[in-house]
Amino acid sequence: MSPVLDIRDLHLSFKGYGGLSEVLHGISLRIEQGQKVALVGESGSGKSVTARIVLGLLQETRTARIRGAVEFDGRDIGAMSARQRAALRGTEMSMIFQDPTSSLNPTFTIGRQFREVLGRRDPGIGRAASDARATQMLAEVSIPDPARVLAAYPFQLSGGMNQRVMIAMALANRPKLLLADEPGTALDVSVQAQTLHLMRELVDDHGTSVLFISHNLGVVREFADRLYVIYRGRIVEEGPAAAIFADPRHAYTRALMDAVPRITGGGLPDVPEVSEDFLAPLIRHEEDAA
Amino acid sequence: MIRAFRILAANPLSLIGFILVVLIVFAAVFAPWIAPYPTHNGAVVDFLNNNRPPSAQNWMGTDLVGRDIFSRILYAYQISLGLGLVVLAIAPPVGTIVGLLAGYMGGWVETILMRLVDVFLSIPPLVLAIAMMGVLEPTLTNAMLAVTVMWWPWYARLVYSIARSEREEGYVLAAEVIGASSFHIAFREILPNCLPAILTKMTLDMGFVIIIASSLSFLGLGVQPPTPDLGSMVAEGARYLPDSWWLTVFPGLAILLVVFGFNLLGDGLREILGVDE
Amino acid sequence: MSPVLRLLLRRLGISFVVLIGVSMLIFAIARIIPGDPARIALGPNATAEQVERIRAEMHLDEPIPVQYGFFLRDLARGDLGTSLYTNRPVTTDIAQFLPATLELVFLAGLIMVAVGLPLGILAARYRGRWPDHLVRVLSLLTVSAPSFVWAVILMLIFAYYLPFFPIAGRIKDIYEIERVTGFMTIDTALAGNWPAFWNAWHHLVLPAVALSLSGIGQAARLTRANMVETYEKPYIEMAQAYGFFPSRIARTYAFKPSIIPSLTIIGLDFAAMLGNAFLVEAVFAWPGLSRYGVAVILRKDLNAIMGTVLIIALTFLIVNIIVDLLIAFLNPRIRHSTRAAS
Repeated sequence: MSPVLDIRDLHLSFKGYGGLSEVLHGISLRIEQGQKVALVGESGSGKSVTARIVLGLLQETRTARIRGAVEFDGRDIGAMSARQRAALRGTEMSMIFQDPTSSLNPTFTIGRQFREVLGRRDPGIGRAASDARATQMLAEVSIPDPARVLAAYPFQLSGGMNQRVMIAMALANRPKLLLADEPGTALDVSVQAQTLHLMRELVDDHGTSVLFISHNLGVVREFADRLYVIYRGRIVEEGPAAAIFADPRHAYTRALMDAVPRITGGGLPDVPEVSEDFLAPLIRHEEDAA
Repeated sequence: MIRAFRILAANPLSLIGFILVVLIVFAAVFAPWIAPYPTHNGAVVDFLNNNRPPSAQNWMGTDLVGRDIFSRILYAYQISLGLGLVVLAIAPPVGTIVGLLAGYMGGWVETILMRLVDVFLSIPPLVLAIAMMGVLEPTLTNAMLAVTVMWWPWYARLVYSIARSEREEGYVLAAEVIGASSFHIAFREILPNCLPAILTKMTLDMGFVIIIASSLSFLGLGVQPPTPDLGSMVAEGARYLPDSWWLTVFPGLAILLVVFGFNLLGDGLREILGVDE
Repeated sequence: MSPVLRLLLRRLGISFVVLIGVSMLIFAIARIIPGDPARIALGPNATAEQVERIRAEMHLDEPIPVQYGFFLRDLARGDLGTSLYTNRPVTTDIAQFLPATLELVFLAGLIMVAVGLPLGILAARYRGRWPDHLVRVLSLLTVSAPSFVWAVILMLIFAYYLPFFPIAGRIKDIYEIERVTGFMTIDTALAGNWPAFWNAWHHLVLPAVALSLSGIGQAARLTRANMVETYEKPYIEMAQAYGFFPSRIARTYAFKPSIIPSLTIIGLDFAAMLGNAFLVEAVFAWPGLSRYGVAVILRKDLNAIMGTVLIIALTFLIVNIIVDLLIAFLNPRIRHSTRAAS
């Protein structure tokens, strides 16, 4: 069985006034069926752009130059047309964003936005069918009063509630791959922990593969099966999460761990001081090392 | 300054605007030397050559009493630009002072001044000027007065909205803490932050003032003949459409050209100074 | 009380205060007139007796505040005085001429919105590319000429050289239409006279387009600017991440949040048309309020001038209130200013 996501030697550069500047220097990353993989690094390390390449969003900007292979479910995304890439989004892969409240359109009800999302899989879906399906999805994310939430606008709901709505939307079309870009970083620590727990249960139930992007090793620890640590556009350490947490070998990974408080925390951790050692080559943990 | 010019040069539309404005201002200032018939700015009559279509002698034709339209347009630019300069020398400072006072002082000063501004802004701009010209004598000075009176509230509102948001900023609070006077805070701390927006608006407004002024004279409420004015030239010629089309089309295009120039320039300036619309 | 009703009452209150202010302003303008208003209105040939009668009628011998008091009292009664030009009550004159102007302004406003907003959407969706540049140049061009210049150009091209549209007027003389609403397009339909109905529309198109042009440019630029800002918002990236069609994102997801802040300015542009109608009506010999306005101004007919300006200001305030209600309707934050669930 082919992996859900297979990235090999991915390079990305942006064309700017001073010529090309390379952001990703050849990263490789694999996600098997049902696997939860975390990509961890500081802001600016290239983790968010990686997600946007997988989604096919960066391919549509005129300044991005992309090289290398990105295969989704055995299909080469780089070889697809913009239309084919768009067809995958919202159906076979979906994404959860950092700030749930500002990621939902302020001028439409949750129910209406759900209908747009469900319409990606089922273009002719009627309002009644959409509401029924949405109600079911909202129940899955433990929202007590789905009907009221569907009629509400995002600003009428709390951040935690919107986060649950986002999770429900992201999983509504049963995607093969869920991209989560710093989910819930904008929320309270306890609310973030709750919703992450919920998300983990749901993806386990549905067998959804996840690419979890975070700057926070503490958050990732509870969530990921497998870990990739990224530093300035290069993967510096990869392997099973447990193995890396038990025995972080790369200098950067160790610095990152020291910087992070050992609780599920929000906000930015103290960024490690820059050190020559961080540029040391990739360390790969064996699969059975754990 | 050099940086501004470089940005201007990198933006072809703004550069076109800049060149248009420079050319027109030059032509207006030096009209007596450039105009082929410099005496035609007054009540000259040449019935042998009246109402002629464009030709080598008269590039834009001649009007009903035989005056060269091209020459008259150059002189009319003098009037339009002069009027624009006077209005923009008076209205923005008045509006800025009112807006700063209302925005920084708050309280009853704010209420009274901004309601006053609301009153002015609730009469469509041209209508207010028309009404004023209706009771005043139609002279150039009165036209300037009428346009200035309708124009200052727009600056008051612009400066007011900026001043109000700046009032809460850290540097203003800091100045208050160290005991700076209200006057100092309003004019030394807040005003500099309003300047880019004011400057951009002034450039764009130069075109709009010309539009309003020509509209007044088009209705016969502005500068009176024989002084050449673009608006009254269009009005006069409109009665002789379509046969004597040059009587209206060239003065009309002259308005379009100068306003378009200022708009292109102002649009570029907005980008250089980073002002929101 | 519902938030929208509260907003409406607040706006009505403010508008009333502003209207009082407008009446003072107009009154002040009318009194800065140099010389004796009665003498100016009646002309040099009037007898001293006539002048005296008018002075008494207009309370010109009273102190200024008392004069204003009389003016307000009459205003409250819906009495704007008698026009010295037509010798009829100003209200009668306005009732006769206003509908033609409103008809023109309404259609122009409709064209402004129907053309300007899609152009702005187009420019924002293809920002930085050629449709954006094209819309930018076009909109700068349309706002660069007063509407009388557009009127003359359109008339020359589409009425004289290519005789698609009538040159002037509101309707052909051969049609006798009973006046019900004063709106020719409605009255002809009410009369069931369809040839006249089409003829009325035919006459309306060119002046309305001329009047709308600069508004189209303004609306397009404004829509573009607000939408470009909206395109930076996370919810647009979310819509893209869910594979919504770019045209759908532009028309709904990005458009709706962007139009809300644009509406106030579009309302102002609509109001500016009330002023610009003066110019377009003059070119197309449109028998509206502005032709009346210019005529009474040239005759220094004070009552009529004040009445006309007051009615235009009132129309403007009504338009503003409608725009505010529209914003409240579109913006759920105003409509539901309480939290429904949390």
